[in-house]
Amino acid sequence: MAPDPDLVGMLEHRRIVVVAGAGGVGKTTVSAALALGLASRGARVAVVTIDPARRLASALGIAHLGDEPDRVDPARITAAGMPMEGTLDALQLDPQATFDRLVAREAPDEAARQRILRNRVYRHLSTAVAGAQEFMAVERLHELVDSGRYDVVVLDTPPARNALDFLDAPERMTRFVEGRGLRLLLGPRSGAGRTGWRALQAGGHMVMSVVERLTGAQLLTDISEFLQSFDGMYQGFSDRASAVRFLLASDSTRFVVVTGPRPEPATEAIALWRRLRDDRYPLGAVVVNRVHLEPGGDGAPPDGLADLLAAAGAADPVGLAGRAADALAMARARAAADRHEVQAIAGALDGPPMVLVPALEDDPVEVAGLARVTRELEGR
Amino acid sequence: MASCRARVREMGSPPLTGRRLAFVLGKGGVGKTTVAAALALGMADAGHRTLLVEVAAEQRTGALFGVTPSLDDPVEVRPGLFALSVDAERATQEYLTIQLKVRPLVEMMARSRAFHQVTQAAPGLAELVTLGKIWDMATKVHDGAPVWDRLVVDAPATGHGIALLRAAGNARDLAGSGPIHDQAGAIEKVIRHPAATGIAVVARPEELAVTEAVEAVSTLREAGLPVACAVMNGVRRSSFSGDDAHALSAVASDPATGPAQRAAAEAALAIATGAAHDAREVDGLARESGLPVAVLPEVPDLSPGSGGLEALSAALLADPAIAGDHGA
Repeated sequence: MAPDPDLVGMLEHRRIVVVAGAGGVGKTTVSAALALGLASRGARVAVVTIDPARRLASALGIAHLGDEPDRVDPARITAAGMPMEGTLDALQLDPQATFDRLVAREAPDEAARQRILRNRVYRHLSTAVAGAQEFMAVERLHELVDSGRYDVVVLDTPPARNALDFLDAPERMTRFVEGRGLRLLLGPRSGAGRTGWRALQAGGHMVMSVVERLTGAQLLTDISEFLQSFDGMYQGFSDRASAVRFLLASDSTRFVVVTGPRPEPATEAIALWRRLRDDRYPLGAVVVNRVHLEPGGDGAPPDGLADLLAAAGAADPVGLAGRAADALAMARARAAADRHEVQAIAGALDGPPMVLVPALEDDPVEVAGLARVTRELEGR
Repeated sequence: MASCRARVREMGSPPLTGRRLAFVLGKGGVGKTTVAAALALGMADAGHRTLLVEVAAEQRTGALFGVTPSLDDPVEVRPGLFALSVDAERATQEYLTIQLKVRPLVEMMARSRAFHQVTQAAPGLAELVTLGKIWDMATKVHDGAPVWDRLVVDAPATGHGIALLRAAGNARDLAGSGPIHDQAGAIEKVIRHPAATGIAVVARPEELAVTEAVEAVSTLREAGLPVACAVMNGVRRSSFSGDDAHALSAVASDPATGPAQRAAAEAALAIATGAAHDAREVDGLARESGLPVAVLPEVPDLSPGSGGLEALSAALLADPAIAGDHGA
């Protein structure tokens, strides 16, 4: 196989790096390692994590990752043997706070803002509507890029059941807020608990009265109020969603797809890469994380190990050598299985740029561990 | 037996295997579906008529049993073990059929775009209907006997899974009155009762999965939902003692050692290191969640006929964290 490309080099001078993939493949670590590499080379970098990565935060010397960016002390990075020409900020996505700010920005006046923030449908929105978290992540990305404080923003995407949700979320959310058909049917409802209300279509009236019978009038009043409070705002939402979509499809962006060397995440990674390619999103590379490397010895049996172990003071050198030989056979089988999976991914995608990160014994717990991942991503 | 009963009463609630309704929850990629299937298989093997419910519509259960669960009727995948996939849209139609009793009206609702938008706009309505369907099956009685002795629910990934479990409470809050409000109350009563319902939170021995599991446990507890235990999936074990590791390290670091011998010593040491790491994560999960933790080994092959799922099931049902002190 060709030597790994330098992924950090490929991402230099981009404004957005989106790191996507199935849950549990180590997206957060890869995101942080890429951000570290870019900052090390001189960029002002922000990395946005989705998961509560406490150990990553403490590795970066940040007590608690929050919604506002925190600067990583450059001394920590140089102490780990990495040059530090730029800056590295880290933050963790807070969907509700992001949405509240968006509402504050788009609301025509303070009264409208308060009405939305108090609405019960709104308060349940960020957790209950499919794609809401993805929408907030994209919105936060937009804020950070707009702020002008960063050369590049690295976004660790939410662990969606289907990683493709991420791309459709802004539009779905805009459609939801717009709620065209629903507005028409609900019409203006005055006062909580009022049961009689105007419907514009006979069929629609029927539907709504059935819904009201099931849910009670309060829910429909809340939904109606919610949609009314967004009146005049959804154009802003829609504009932002298209602006973000444009930015994500431009040459300023690169998508990095992360997977593990296992069939399940690999299937998702392959589907995601194809979808991105078909929709002409700018592709970076596929990162296969936690790959088991071929052990040394070129497949030869570890003959004579028992004698060495006896000399080293083992109590049962023959038994121990046997168990160690089994361990070696297992490690070789695992390396072969991983190699097979990597080849399957490469074959399915016609040889995309691919970077392999070997399995470490532990998640990185300090900058030095993260720097090791960075070096692997640089193809070193 | 008497002492077991006393202990169970002391702890306030039965072990997970003693509850009719079990929810299996966890971060994506931790092996929730596998744990749910293994748990359901174990309950069925113990003689309970068991229904495995898949919510995430991923149809992964099929790959484990070699049978695709149906959206309509439970399919028997092993003796005494049935599987069903619950879909929110279909469950909504079913619910309407029961409520409205008029077929054309139901069909009109199902076709109506406005209705779909209401169900989308009403936060958590899809979850509520899904939970309602599960509740309905858990409480269904035929000829005076429960239709299902045990239900095991393979819940969606953590955030969505918690939303599912909280759906009844949320609905009571959102819908001020009406049939949904009343039904939500009835569902909530069962879902929150620790003698009827138990939640198992699954993690893998990795930082993020453990952190997320611990946070899920505290969120569930705050919501008054009955968390029964945690399950650590994919835990590596080692047969190498401290003395073994000492001798292996000496051999691995000796420059005179040949490449194959060094590779064997290093492979053995990696197993010891991995197992020590995983044991620390198990301790951390137990300490931070305050829950009994069932430990499942790594099983490389889970395909039907490999015996992998059966091995997991046996390990799970023998674990006191799942089955209490007296086993299943």
